[in-house]
Amino acid sequence: MSANTARTSACATWLFLLVTAAGLAQSIPYQRPVDTAPQEKSIGGGYRTPAVQKPLPRSSWLQLLDVGVLAAAMGISSWLVLKRRSRKALVALAIGSVAYFGFYREGCVCPIGSIQNVALALTDPRYSIPMVVTATFFLPLVMAVFVGRAFCGGVCALGAIQELVLLKPVKVPPRLDRALGLLKYAYLGLALFFVLKPAGGDFLICRFDPFVDFFRRTGPPHMLLIGGAFLLAGMFIGRPYCRYLCPYGGLLAWCTRLARRGVTITPNKELDCGLCVDACPYGAIEKMRAVRRNCLYCARCYAACPRDRKLVQLS
Amino acid sequence: MSGDFSRRDLLHKAARGTVLATMAGGAGFLVKKANGQVVWQVDAARCLNSRLGEVGVAACNLCTTECVVSLSAVRAVNEHSRCGRCNICPAYFNITSAVDQRGLPSEKLCPRDAITRKPIGKADPEDPANNFYEYVIDEEKCDGCGKCVMQCKEPLGLGSIALKIRYNRCVDCNRCAISKACPKDALVRVKRMFA
Repeated sequence: MSANTARTSACATWLFLLVTAAGLAQSIPYQRPVDTAPQEKSIGGGYRTPAVQKPLPRSSWLQLLDVGVLAAAMGISSWLVLKRRSRKALVALAIGSVAYFGFYREGCVCPIGSIQNVALALTDPRYSIPMVVTATFFLPLVMAVFVGRAFCGGVCALGAIQELVLLKPVKVPPRLDRALGLLKYAYLGLALFFVLKPAGGDFLICRFDPFVDFFRRTGPPHMLLIGGAFLLAGMFIGRPYCRYLCPYGGLLAWCTRLARRGVTITPNKELDCGLCVDACPYGAIEKMRAVRRNCLYCARCYAACPRDRKLVQLS
Repeated sequence: MSGDFSRRDLLHKAARGTVLATMAGGAGFLVKKANGQVVWQVDAARCLNSRLGEVGVAACNLCTTECVVSLSAVRAVNEHSRCGRCNICPAYFNITSAVDQRGLPSEKLCPRDAITRKPIGKADPEDPANNFYEYVIDEEKCDGCGKCVMQCKEPLGLGSIALKIRYNRCVDCNRCAISKACPKDALVRVKRMFA
């Protein structure tokens, strides 16, 4: 009986020791005690330990600034296009957006990519996104419900860079244009599928963002090639990524169905000359009327309109 | 116009109201769920280069090669208050290289020559070479290859050098490319700490 107890207690002791040892092994602190390192006193000679640079995240007011700049740029974009009807000012805005959202912010955070984060945050209980991302995702959509795709024209860095390289627009046959336009919905579905699939999501839209590598001035060679190809094609075909692939463009196109205002071909004043139809590189003017879901707010139609130029001169 | 107003406009307004309300609901849900900013950090206790017990293996340089920004957003930081200020610093010198006439290893370890060494404190009159030394890592030169981190730990160093994220470079990718490649899952997302 007593031997048995002794054995049990010995076992218990061993077990206890083992467990504690394992516990200790696991809880060995990474940091060595500081007193093993020589400090100011032992170094002497009036030595002062230099401060270590503490890496701080981007401060919250700078993040708010991003949202503010986004909202302001969309406001300016819609005012320039709807009220001023000025193509020149819009190009200036586009350059500004490429500089700020593109090269300064290196393409992140953008509403296009945020589709994935929003979708994941809506469905995955463990995942959440900062409010800045929520705002970035919804602001352009709300804008689209009221005035159309003001975001696309001179605000979106991806759109703006394509807007700036479009030098010799070639018309895409309307039927082909429409068929290719369906690709973006397929891409949206694919991106949602990949990000929501149970075994670890993959962020397709970000991974195959053709221009972000230019903004970051580095990237995998195949993406730089694809980006270069898009820019080269974009010199002749108006904004190929926006029209045929951008999944956010698809969402915006749906929202514009509810828009009350948008780019209009000078109501009651037009000459039916059709110059605007020729000027539109995106096939967004059908039967002398702007199609809001395709209109990318570039203001080329206004720049080409003889009537409009006259009106601007008169005023 | 006024006759047309009633139905079409009402439907339009209703649709727009519904869409806006849905968006507001979604945004509200996300904002309620949001719990502050989340940032990537290197967990020094997991990182192959800084964790204890990883000795005699090649330093892992995935932080340098995988990061999507030009100069990696990860760099090595020397926590001066924990630095042993060694004469022959295993992170500064390549301690396997031949000894030169000063009695110090002839080669440096850092491939980008990002570490500077300078004597500090009171000089010992008996043995002027027996000084304390300050090692400063140049932020702009370091690309986070982790060689110095691997050396500055048991049994040779005190573990004062660790890899850290520079948030002025980190673009906070959805799936950090380094975290995907990291063999020890040392890149973790943590809630932002206010200093």
